[in-house]
Amino acid sequence: MTAERHVDAVVIGAGTAGLTAGALLAEGGARVVVVAKGVGSTHLAPGTVDVLGYDPDRVEAPGAALAGFVAAHPEHPYARLGPDAVEPALEWFRAKVQAGPQPGYAYVGDLARNHMLPTAAGALRPSALVPETMAPGDAAADTSPVCVAGMRVLRDFHPELCAANLTAAGIPARAVELEVDMGRADANALGLARRLDDPSFRAAFAGQLGSKLRGGERVALPAMLGLRDPHRVWTELQERLDTPVFEIPTLPPSVPGMRLSDVLRAALRAAGGRLVLGSEVVGGERDGARVSAVRVHASGHDVLYHARWFVLAAGGLNSGSIELGSDWVVRETALGLPVHGAPGPGEPRFLPDVFAEQPLSRVGIAVDAGLRAEGTENVLVAGASLPGAVPWKEGSGEGIALTSAHRAAAAVLAAERIEATA
Amino acid sequence: MAPLSTDLLVIGGGATGAGVAFDAALRGFDVVLVDRADLAEGTSGRFHGLLHSGGRYVVKDPNAAIECIGENRIVREIAADAIEDTGGFFVSTPWDDPAYADRFAQGCADTGVDCEEIPVAQALREEPRLNPDISRAFRVPDANVDAWKLVWGLARGAQERGGRILTYHEVVGVHREGDEVTGARVRDARTGDELDVEAAMTVNAAGAWAHHIAEMAGIEGVRILPGRGIMIAMNHRLVNTVVNRCQSPTDGDILVPIRTVSVIGTTDVHTDDPDDHTVLQDEVDAMLDDGEKLVPGFKRARALRVWTGVRPLFEDAKEEGTDTRDVTRAHAILDHVERDGVKRFLTITGGKLTTYRLMAKDAVDAVCAQRGETRPCTTSTAVLPGSADRGPYLLGERLERKEEHLRDDQLVCECEMIARSKLEEVMRRRATTNLDDIRRSLRLGMGPCQGGFCIPRATGILHAMNGMSHEEANASLLGFLRERWKGVWPILYGDQVRQARLDDWIFQGVLDVEHLPG
Repeated sequence: MTAERHVDAVVIGAGTAGLTAGALLAEGGARVVVVAKGVGSTHLAPGTVDVLGYDPDRVEAPGAALAGFVAAHPEHPYARLGPDAVEPALEWFRAKVQAGPQPGYAYVGDLARNHMLPTAAGALRPSALVPETMAPGDAAADTSPVCVAGMRVLRDFHPELCAANLTAAGIPARAVELEVDMGRADANALGLARRLDDPSFRAAFAGQLGSKLRGGERVALPAMLGLRDPHRVWTELQERLDTPVFEIPTLPPSVPGMRLSDVLRAALRAAGGRLVLGSEVVGGERDGARVSAVRVHASGHDVLYHARWFVLAAGGLNSGSIELGSDWVVRETALGLPVHGAPGPGEPRFLPDVFAEQPLSRVGIAVDAGLRAEGTENVLVAGASLPGAVPWKEGSGEGIALTSAHRAAAAVLAAERIEATA
Repeated sequence: MAPLSTDLLVIGGGATGAGVAFDAALRGFDVVLVDRADLAEGTSGRFHGLLHSGGRYVVKDPNAAIECIGENRIVREIAADAIEDTGGFFVSTPWDDPAYADRFAQGCADTGVDCEEIPVAQALREEPRLNPDISRAFRVPDANVDAWKLVWGLARGAQERGGRILTYHEVVGVHREGDEVTGARVRDARTGDELDVEAAMTVNAAGAWAHHIAEMAGIEGVRILPGRGIMIAMNHRLVNTVVNRCQSPTDGDILVPIRTVSVIGTTDVHTDDPDDHTVLQDEVDAMLDDGEKLVPGFKRARALRVWTGVRPLFEDAKEEGTDTRDVTRAHAILDHVERDGVKRFLTITGGKLTTYRLMAKDAVDAVCAQRGETRPCTTSTAVLPGSADRGPYLLGERLERKEEHLRDDQLVCECEMIARSKLEEVMRRRATTNLDDIRRSLRLGMGPCQGGFCIPRATGILHAMNGMSHEEANASLLGFLRERWKGVWPILYGDQVRQARLDDWIFQGVLDVEHLPG
C-alpha cells in the first residue's frame, strides 16, 4: 500500500546538512518534510563545527586560509560555495543554538582562529566553532595544567592515555578515576549525560571530583555534561569546583553531537517543518529532468512524497547513499543520480596506507555550480553527498554541511519566489 | 647475553614447531622454541580454519585422507578448546561433475572417513542459505579450529614442562662445527639484542621459510615452493556447517564458519617470496563468485577482510628427476645425516595444520633415532592446557559468560564479546605491547567493525595497565590500524565501506590519531 503526500520540498537526510536545509526552507515559508533512514552523522561526530582544520598542515586561521584553500582545490565544495558563504551560515547556526532547546547553551568561536581541542586520545584537534562546554580546553589559548577525569564504567574514555599524550603535547596533565555506579559494568557517555541532567546526582559527582583536584588545575571530563541542560550542568560544575571544566568528545554516541541535532530539529519544528525518521528513499518518479516524487520505504508501507524540490543531503559514502558495489561500480542509491570523482575501472579505489588519502574518498553526486544534481532541474545536493572533500581529514565537515545547506535552501526559495511572482 | 643451553632448539612457532616443542617436552627433553614473530603469525594463522575430515583428499590423495581422519579424531580430544564441532557437508552444485559424488563416497569408504549421504532437503533444512540447486549432499566430520588457540595451547603445554618459548626472536645464524649443527644465534626483534642458543639437536620447522634456515646451516637443495592462497572472511555465519564443493579440489570451494564469521578459500598461486601477501583483484572477484555458487546472495554480506597464507610445498632438489608433479602436500622429514652428512639437525616441512601432531611425532621420533634413544610419543592422549575437562568450543560461550557478568565485567569488544577481565588477563600473560598479538589470542578487532571501537579502548587499557609510555601506546594503536587495513582495503565494498568510513571518523575525526604527539 502506498500513501501519497504533497509538499513543496523534500529533504533527504537528517544530519547537519539535511536538518539545516529543512529548517531554512521552512523558515522561508515552504512546506517541508525531512525524511531520513537514520539519525545522521551528528551522533557520531564530536559536535563541533569544523570549517577547515588541516591543509594538510594544521590551519590556525580558517577564515584567512579559505581563499588559498579553494584556489588550490577548485573542485572542493568550498570552491563552489565561495569562502564568503561560510560566515553567514555560522551566524545562523549560532542563533539557532541560542534559541534552541538547551537553555543558555552556546557555541563560541569564529573564523578568525581555530580552537585546539584535546581529543580522547590526547591529540589536539582544530575546530572553529565549538560548544562552550569544550572551549576551556582550547590549547591555543590555555596550556595550564589539566586533571583528566574518567570513570571505569565508561569504556569509551581512558584518562591516563589522554593525559599522557596531552603532557607530551605541552599541556601538563594527570588522570584520575571517579567511581560512578550505573548499575552495571558498562555505560556510555549518553547514559552518564542523562544522569548528570539530574541535580542530585550532579552534586554528588561534583563532590567526588572536587576531592581529587589539586589547586590550579582545569578539569577535563568526557563529553557527558548533560543532554537537556548542558549549560547548567557545566556552569554548576565550574562553580562547585571553582575552576574551568571542559568536555572531551568520546567514541560514539556523541552527546554534544546529539545536542547539536536537537538544536537543528527544534529549528525545523519551530518553523513548521516535519521530520520523519526510519524512512529510506528507495526511488523517485521522474518527468524528464524533473523529479516529481520520491518513494519512501517506511515500516510496513511506502509513501510517495510529491514535491517541486528535493534536497539530497543523505551523507554520501558515510550512509550508503552512495555505494560501491561488489562489481566495483559506484552508484547513488536513492535516485540513481550520476556520481563524480569515482576512480575508473582498473584504477585504485583504496591505497595500502590507511592514512593516505584514499582515491575513493572525494566521490560525490555530480553537481553544477549551483549544487544542482547533474541531469536534474530540481534536485539540490548538500553536505557529505557533495564531491571533492575529505572532511574527516580536512576538518571541514560541519562547515561544508551548514554552508551548502544554506546555498541549496536559498536556491529553492529564490526559485519559489520567482514562480510565485510569475 | 649468556647463551641458552638446551636439548632441543625448535625454529619456527607455527603448529608444526609448537607441536614439536610440546611433543619433545612430553618426552622429557628440555626445549627452546624461537620464532621471528608471534606464534602462528605465519602459515598456521593464515588459513581458513578448517580441521579436515579428510574428505577433501579421499579421491586425489587417499593417504592424506587417512592421516586427516585419524588426526581429526585425536585433535578433537586433546585440543577441544580450540575446536568447534560444526560438522561438514560435501555438496554437488550445478558446476560440479555429477560423477564425482560416487567416487567421493567410495573414497570415503576406502579411507575410513566417516561419511553419510543425506537427502538434499535435509541439508537445506540444516543450512537454509545453501544453494537450493545442489543435487547431492554428504555429511563428514569436518570442524573448525582456532589455530592461535591450538598453537598457544601447545606452547603452554611445553612451557609447563620447562620449555622456553621465545617469540619475536629471529634466527640470524645457525651454528655449525664441522659436520654438526650446534645451535643458532637469534636476535630479539624488539630490543635488537642477540642471543646464542646451544642445542644438542636443532629442528628446522620454519615452514615456508625452511630453506632459509637450511641455507644458514650450509645445507643445499632444500626447496620450498611457496603456494599462496587467499581467504576472505564474511561478517556472518552464512552457514553453521563447513561446506565443501563435492568435486576434485580446486579454488574457492570451501566455506568455513568459524567464530563469528565465515571464511571462503582458497587459491593456489606460486610465489617466490613467502612474505609476499599480494592480493589480486581477479582472485578476489573469483572468490566472491565462488561464494555465490555455494550461498546465493553471498556478495551481499559484508566482506570483512582478505588475507593470504603460504603453503610450504616441499621439493627435494637432490632427488633425481624431481619435477613439480612430485611436489607433495604430505609432510617431509629431512634427516640431514643421511642426506647431507650433517648431524644434529632435522628439517620438517610440508603438511597441513590438521596433521601437525603427526608431523611433530615423526620429527621427534627422528630426533630420538639420531640420539640413539627410545622415548615413546604420548601426544595422542596428552590434553593441552585449556582443554582439560571440557568439550569442544561452543559459539555461544562468550555470550553466556558475559550474561553472567553483566554487572561486574565490562565488554571491550562487542563484535567478538571480549570481556575486560579476559583482555587484561591475556595482556598480562602475553606481556606484549603489540595489539596484534592480543588479536591472535582473543580475536580482538576481528569482527565487523575491524577495531573501530575496541582498539581505542584496548589501547587505553593496555597503556594504563602496563605503565607504557605514550609513544609505545600510540605506536600500538597506529600499528594495529595499519596492519588491519592491509586486509581491509582490497575487498572493501558495499556496507563495509560505511564501516570503514565510520572508523575513519572515529580515528581521524574524533580522536585525530594522525596528530598524536610523537
